[in-house]
Amino acid sequence: MSGVAGGTRGGSALRGLRTWWTMLVICIEERLVYRGDFALGTLMRFLPIVTQIFLWTAVFSATSRTDIAGYSRNDIVAYYLLTMVTRAFSSMPGLAGGIARSIRDGSVKKFLVQPVDYVSFLLAARVAHKLVYYAVAIAPFALVFFLCRGYFPPPPDAATFAAFVVSLLLSFLLGFFMEAALGMIGFWFMEVSSIVFGYMLVQYLLSGHMFPIDLLAGVPTGLAGVSLADVVRWLPFEYTAYFPAAVWLGKVRGERLLWSLVIEAGWVVVMALACRAAWWRGTRRYSAFGG
Amino acid sequence: MHNIVPDAAAADPVIRVEGLAKEYRVFDKPEGLAASIRSLFHRTSRVVEALKGVDLTVGRGEFVALLGPNGAGKTTLLKLLSGIITPSRGTARVLGHVPWERADDFRRRFALVMGQRNQLWWDLPAAESFRLHQEIYRMEPARFERIRDELVDLLDVRRLILQPVRELSLGERMKLELVAALLHEPEVLFLDEPTIGLDVVAQHTIHEFLRTVQRQRRMTVVLTTHYMKDVVALCERVVVITRGQILYDGSLAEIVDRFTTHKIVTLDLDEAPDQRRIEAFGFPCEVRGPRVILRIERGRIADVLPQLLRAEGVRDVSVEDVPLEEIVAGLFRSDRRQAETVGAAR
Amino acid sequence: MRRYLSVFLTFARACLVRDMTFRANFILECVTSLGWMSMNLAFYLLVFTFTSEIGKGTGWTREPYFAFVATGLIINSIVQAFFMPSAEELTEMVRTGGLDAVLVQPLDAQFLLSMHRFDYSSLANGAVGVGLLAWSVSRLEHAPPAIAWLLYPLLLACGVAILYGFVIMLAAATIHMGRNQSLYDFWFYLTNFSRYPAEIYAGPWGGPLRALCTFVIPILLVVNVPARVVAQPFTGESWGGVAAIVIAAGASLVVSRLVFQWSLARYRSASS
Repeated sequence: MSGVAGGTRGGSALRGLRTWWTMLVICIEERLVYRGDFALGTLMRFLPIVTQIFLWTAVFSATSRTDIAGYSRNDIVAYYLLTMVTRAFSSMPGLAGGIARSIRDGSVKKFLVQPVDYVSFLLAARVAHKLVYYAVAIAPFALVFFLCRGYFPPPPDAATFAAFVVSLLLSFLLGFFMEAALGMIGFWFMEVSSIVFGYMLVQYLLSGHMFPIDLLAGVPTGLAGVSLADVVRWLPFEYTAYFPAAVWLGKVRGERLLWSLVIEAGWVVVMALACRAAWWRGTRRYSAFGG
Repeated sequence: MHNIVPDAAAADPVIRVEGLAKEYRVFDKPEGLAASIRSLFHRTSRVVEALKGVDLTVGRGEFVALLGPNGAGKTTLLKLLSGIITPSRGTARVLGHVPWERADDFRRRFALVMGQRNQLWWDLPAAESFRLHQEIYRMEPARFERIRDELVDLLDVRRLILQPVRELSLGERMKLELVAALLHEPEVLFLDEPTIGLDVVAQHTIHEFLRTVQRQRRMTVVLTTHYMKDVVALCERVVVITRGQILYDGSLAEIVDRFTTHKIVTLDLDEAPDQRRIEAFGFPCEVRGPRVILRIERGRIADVLPQLLRAEGVRDVSVEDVPLEEIVAGLFRSDRRQAETVGAAR
Repeated sequence: MRRYLSVFLTFARACLVRDMTFRANFILECVTSLGWMSMNLAFYLLVFTFTSEIGKGTGWTREPYFAFVATGLIINSIVQAFFMPSAEELTEMVRTGGLDAVLVQPLDAQFLLSMHRFDYSSLANGAVGVGLLAWSVSRLEHAPPAIAWLLYPLLLACGVAILYGFVIMLAAATIHMGRNQSLYDFWFYLTNFSRYPAEIYAGPWGGPLRALCTFVIPILLVVNVPARVVAQPFTGESWGGVAAIVIAAGASLVVSRLVFQWSLARYRSASS
C-alpha cells in the first residue's frame, strides 16, 4: 500500500481524499479479480451457522426448557447471524501480524520520518478495506438475512437501534485498537505470533463467537453472587461479537445497556491510549537501535 | 522454414515429432473498474498458439539446441516431449514411447532438468534425494553408489550433499540437480535453460560437465536456451524456434553461411584516420580511434582486402564472421517483422 | 509395492528430523491445535449443563457424545498429519514447477503429491482423542462388545479413506485451477458438517441434507459410523453402517483417483 502524501494543508486534504478513493477502487478491483473466490467465500462463511442451527435445535429438542439463559432456539440462530455482522465490523485480519512484521523487517521506519501518523494511517486503511468489504458483501449478507428472517424477533425500537449502531461502531474501534496494540508488542518481543495466538484463543471463547455470553451466567467463579458472565462483562472481548447482537435482540436493556456502552467506550479509550503509548515508547526504543 | 535432417537421424531416430501443436485458452485480464465488474458475468478469452505444428527428428547421441526468444515455444516443446503436457495436435515418439502416456518404462529412461525450478525435494539434503532417486528408479545399490560418486566428484559437490537443498545457492543447486538427473543413466536428457541465472564460472563448469558426460554415455541431449554461449559450447545442431515454429534446423556452421552475407573486417591503424577517407571505400563502417570496423560482402573480400592492406598505417587486420547473437537476433527480428506485415495486411 | 513403502518411510523420516530440528515451533503448533480443541470441548461441556442429550432419543448423552468427539479428533488428526500438508503445498508446487518434476518420475504422481510431507504436530489432537475416548467409553452404561473394538480400527481407516478421497479431489482442483484459497476453506466447511452426529440433521431441511451427506457425499459416515459402533449399543442395524462406510471408502478412493488422473491429463503447466 502506498504511503499517504504529505504536503500543504489544503492540497494535502484533497490529495488525501484522492489517494483514499484510489485505494478504494484498487481494493475493489483486487477483490473482483478473485471473483469466484470471493463470491463463494462470503457465502461459505455462513455455512458453520447451518450446523449450529441444527445443533441447537437438537439441544432444545431433548430438554423441556423453552429457553436457555433467556434465548429461545430462534433467538440463538438470530444471535449467530448478528454476530456475523458484529465481526464484520470488529475483526481485523492480519493487523497485529502486519504491524509486528513491519517492525521486524524495518518498514515501519518510514513512518518515523514522514509526517504521517502510523496508527491513523492504519485506521484509515482499515476503514477503506471495511467499506469495500461491506459494499461487496452486502448482497450475500442481505440474501442470508432475508432467507432467515423467520428466526428474528420483531425489530427493536429506535433507541435500541441507535444503541446497536453505536455499539457496532465502537466494536470496530475496539477491535482495531486491541489488535494494533497487540501488534505494537513487536517493539519489545520478536515472536508476537504466540501472543497473538493466545489472544485469539481467549477471543474465541469469550467474545461470544461460539455461544451467547449469557450462557456463562450459571458458571460460578468462586466469588459469591458473581458468575463468569459478570466477569466477562468487564472485559473487552465480548464487545467484539456478543454485545451488539445482544443489544439488537433486546437481551441487554435499560441501565445495564447504558453501563455496557460505557464499559465498551472505556475500553476503546484504554486501548487507544495503550496504542499511542506503545507507539511512542516503542519508536523511541526502536530508533535507539537503528535497524 | 528450413528443415535439414542429419543423416544419422534417419536411421533410427530417438525423437520423432510430426505436426506437434499446442494451444492454450487464455482469459483476458480486465483493466479498470468497469471491466472488473463486467468480468464477474462474462469473461473474454483468446487462443494462444504456443506451438504451431512442429516437425523434428533427433538421432541417438546428438546434442541439439532449441534456440529462441522467450515465449517461442521451446519449453512447451520440451514439456510435450517429456510428457508433462498433452498436445492439441500432432504426434511425437521418444525412445519409441508416446511421452504423454507417461509410461513408467519411458520415464525410467530419460531425465529432465529445468533451470531455476527446483526438482529436488526442498526439505531433504541432496544425499537423501539421491537415495530416493535410487529407490524410485530401481537401481542396484552398487551401481547407484558408483555412478553417484562419479558424478559428485566430477562436479565437485561432495561437501554439499548433506546440507538441506534450500540452503544452497542457485549454482550449487543446479549442479546437484544435474547429478540427480543423471544417476539413473538416462538415454535422453532434456535441459530447459540450465544455465539461466548462473555466474560465468558455474556456466563454464556445467558446460564442461555436460560435454564430458554426454560423450561418455552417448546420451541424446536436447537443450533449450536463449544464450548463444550454451549453444556454441555444447551443440553442433541448432533448431531455431520463434513464435511456435521452427525457423531453422541445421548445424551451427551453416547458420553463418546461410544467413550472413557480410564479414566483419577490423583494421588497427597507427593513428586515428580521417573519417571521410574510410567512408570513401563505400562500406558501412565504424571508426573508434585508431580502430576501424568495416562490413564487407563476402564475395568482395578477396578483392577489397589487398586494397585496404596497401593503405598506409595499417598495423593489424582481422576478418571475422558476424557474431552468432547478431545473426540469430536478426532472424528473430525479420521473422517478427514478417508477422507484423502479415498482420497489418489483414 | 516395496518401493512405495521405502519412499514413504524416507519422507516420513525426513519430516520427523525437520520437526525435531525446529522443536520450539513443533511444540508451539501442538499447543495451538490443543488450544483450539480444548475451547471446543469446553463449549460442549457448557452445552451439556443445559441439556442431557443432543437430539431427543438419539442416545447422544454426554459420554457417548464425547466418544463421538474423540473419534472425530482421531480421524481428523490422521488426515491433517499425513495428507493435508502435501495437498496444501500443491499450489506452490504448481507454481514453481515442482509438479513437473514429479510428473517425469516413474512413480505414481498421486502418491508422490499426497504423501511427501507430514505434520506430526497434528497428531497431538489425535493423542488427546485417544485419551478422551478411553475416558468416555469407560463411563458408558453399556460397554461395547468385543466385535465393536475389532471393527473400530477398520472403520477409522475407512473414515480416513473417505477424507483422503476428498483431499485428492481438492488436489485435482488445485492442479486444474491453480491458486484457489476458497478450496481450502471449502475443506474446513465440509469437515465441519462431519463433526456432529448425523441425527442433528433432522426436519424438512435436515432430512434431505443428511441423506445427501450420507449417500452422495458420504461425509457424515466418516465419524458417525465408527463412533456409533463403540458409543451406542451394537445391534444388527450397526452392520448396515459398517457396510455403508466400507463401500463409501472404496468409492471415494476410486472416484478421486479418476478425477485426479483426469486433471493431470489436462495439466497446463506454468509457461516459461
